[in-house]
Amino acid sequence: MTTSPARHLIASLLGIIALSLIATLVATTLGPASERILTVFFISLIAVVGMGLYSGNSGILSFGHLSFMGIGAYVSGLLTLPAQMKMATLPKLPDWLAGTETGFLTAVLIAVLVTSVVALVVGLALNRLEGSAATIATLGLLIITHGVIIGWRDVTRGSQSFFGVPRETTLWAAAIFCILALITARLYRDSVSGLRLRAGRENAIAASAVGVNIRKERLIAWVLSAAIMALSGALIGHFLGAFSPKKFYFADTFLLLAMLIVGGMSTVTGAITGAVTITLVTEVLRRFEGGFNLAGLEMPAVFGTTQIGIGLIILFAMFRKPEGLAGLKELEERFFPAHKLGAAAQGAGDTVKNVDPAPLEGKNLTMRFGGLVAVKDVSITVSSGEILGLIGPNGSGKTTLLNMLSGVLAPSEGTVLRGNTDLTNAQPYEVANHGIARTFQNIRLFDTLTVYQNVLIAALSTNKGERATQRCEVAIRAMGIGPHAGSDANTLSYGDQRRVEIARALACEPSLLFLDEPAAGMNREETDDLMATLQKLTRELGLGVLIVDHDLKLINQLCDRIIVLNEGAEIAQGDPAEIRKNPAVIEAYLGHS
Amino acid sequence: MDIFLQQTVNALALGGTYALLALGLAVVFSIMGLINFAHGELMTIAGYVLMYCGIAGLSFVIAVPLALLASVVAAVLMERIAFRPVRNGSGATMLVTSFAVAMILQVLFQNLISTRSQPVLLPAMLSDSVHIMGMVIGVNKLAAIIATVVMLVFLDWFMKHQKTGIAMRAAAEDFAVARLMGIRANTVIAGAFALSGLLAGVAAVLWVSQRASVDPLMGFMPVLKAFIAAILGGLGSLRGAVAGGFLLGFIEIYLSAFLPPEMQEFREPIGLGIVVLVLLFRPNGLIPSATLKAEKV
Repeated sequence: MTTSPARHLIASLLGIIALSLIATLVATTLGPASERILTVFFISLIAVVGMGLYSGNSGILSFGHLSFMGIGAYVSGLLTLPAQMKMATLPKLPDWLAGTETGFLTAVLIAVLVTSVVALVVGLALNRLEGSAATIATLGLLIITHGVIIGWRDVTRGSQSFFGVPRETTLWAAAIFCILALITARLYRDSVSGLRLRAGRENAIAASAVGVNIRKERLIAWVLSAAIMALSGALIGHFLGAFSPKKFYFADTFLLLAMLIVGGMSTVTGAITGAVTITLVTEVLRRFEGGFNLAGLEMPAVFGTTQIGIGLIILFAMFRKPEGLAGLKELEERFFPAHKLGAAAQGAGDTVKNVDPAPLEGKNLTMRFGGLVAVKDVSITVSSGEILGLIGPNGSGKTTLLNMLSGVLAPSEGTVLRGNTDLTNAQPYEVANHGIARTFQNIRLFDTLTVYQNVLIAALSTNKGERATQRCEVAIRAMGIGPHAGSDANTLSYGDQRRVEIARALACEPSLLFLDEPAAGMNREETDDLMATLQKLTRELGLGVLIVDHDLKLINQLCDRIIVLNEGAEIAQGDPAEIRKNPAVIEAYLGHS
Repeated sequence: MDIFLQQTVNALALGGTYALLALGLAVVFSIMGLINFAHGELMTIAGYVLMYCGIAGLSFVIAVPLALLASVVAAVLMERIAFRPVRNGSGATMLVTSFAVAMILQVLFQNLISTRSQPVLLPAMLSDSVHIMGMVIGVNKLAAIIATVVMLVFLDWFMKHQKTGIAMRAAAEDFAVARLMGIRANTVIAGAFALSGLLAGVAAVLWVSQRASVDPLMGFMPVLKAFIAAILGGLGSLRGAVAGGFLLGFIEIYLSAFLPPEMQEFREPIGLGIVVLVLLFRPNGLIPSATLKAEKV
């Protein structure tokens, strides 16, 4: 299933196919030299979209992807190498492998499968690391793979050239596989998994809170991208006929990464732009490498002109366009309008399908950060159909308590229960799937995604994604942000961004909703508006709300019950009238008189 | 037992060099989130200064401070020219910028100096060895260990008692708040780069004094190892960087000493495999950075 308008996908698929075919036809008319350049270009482009599929969507730069290209090349080469050749060059090969000789396509397929399995194992380990640590770990992967290929002489001929691979990669084969790889990458970007992964890239905590298991999506993208790299490796192996481990090490990693980064790694458009730019520049600079004559001036041969050129282009791109030449949007997304809201769906308003009647109980919750006790032995029950206020001075532990209830923090002591289900150490995405949704004090939207996509991710990732489109649109309408559906979330005003946050939480179809300072930064009218919406939601849908805010007027008018925290401990609980008279509360807010 | 002690001395020497490099990376990373790929080129620059000083007939006692000065100046210039424009960019943007810088510098070394490895004149004393407790220890190894200890003590003092050092620690904790308290961003960042340049310079002197040669890619491999040491220790944590550097040194030296000969070819993959194993159990490193959990939700 895809999550973007069909016209985007159709436009891009047609574009990819047309461009590739035109380029191929032009090259065949120009002769063998251009055919060679274009074949290498296609193979590089496959690798670049492969790297982009993981790095672009997950936001984790990978230096290790050439490992998979290498594995693909060696595995497919071992399969297609003629048996006699194997006997001569690799006498110590195990018998079953020595006797095997398959066709090109079979070899490519097996190479892709084998590499995917390797990538799955590597990915499970890599998944434990985050951000920059993961990036460096991929560097480690590159060194490990290189070391294994060199050390495993009986199978790979070590650091010597692995030769005799039949040259089966024709221009047309490269073109067709390139089209396949581009389409795979394009479709993945707007698949459910791709959209979730991009949400995780934009804001990991928020993505998790709306039900996205980021690690799972990362693993999917990792394996898929490794498979594409293996394809590229198998093709380059069968194009060159001979290669050595050096081909899949730092030099080519940098070249391919340069293409990805200069073009922009979050789109397929970017991968193509980057590959074209760098290929053109390299082809031009290579001609100057041996020295040239400029208007009578003899220029000396400069070794490494191409590298300097690429280095300068990267610097220029980073200084001027850090997102790459193509930016963050696919070409077709710029030309065709994004999602518009369809006509109001039937039964608009039934956001919640079944209300889970079980209350959420936090028992004796304590949270320590080093020596600091942020929350001390607080017990809290949130039931559906009730609006519960949580107030207290700054630093009294309100948000920490909310974080423990929603799985963002694991409590140091105490338990969190929903009915019979223990949610104490549950991950946020699991909590979200138990009908609990939340918003954040500091707005956490998926900035570069549209409002529609922001909300859709939540609907897709909770309750098994049932009726996702309908839930998404109902939530957007309920919060009155329909006119902004197609805009990027970071272009909205502050108040509208808060509304998108609430819509996103509603799209999870929660039975309990946690709001962390929803009215912060809103003016009086906006706050009143919000209050009316919230009252309507609880009354009509039986939603339970836990609300943290400093606006006491809002809290007093809205809440059925209020809990007051001070210095991490509960100091009062009761209905608004009681709380207003409670001496401990007055003291906490106003001090001794 | 003797071999074991002997190898332990080697491991301390190598691990100390990794630790200094990893520290240099960590100082910069903890403040601005930049993984500096061009750190190795600072090492190479210091190496070339040593080489030219040797050719010019300068004494090693003068050559070493000059080499350190050169890498400090190069680090500060690098920040000013290449990294300031991307200071507020994402981690990936800065990392990519640094690799472009590294690539350009490598090609420049190859064109302006030589593509080949060049010999460096070292004082004869460095290749002597001394007998301690029945072990024969190379003076260069001993010097490496002593230099590492001196640098670590200096750094500890600097970070705890010097105004700039304290400012750097504050900036690593929360740069925005540190700036609100009146700490100048440019000073702190330039200071961090100067410090990382100094550490790279010391590491380069130690590295060159073991090998007596320098080539355009000299800094590449050791800094790659230092990256790995830095995540092994805990990215952004200074103590972690030291721990990771030493642990990686120990892993490498013991493997090369005690791995059976038929496995030696797989030394590197096995060593990194052990690192991965450690990380599987401690994904945030041996001594995780304190700021990891501090993100406000």
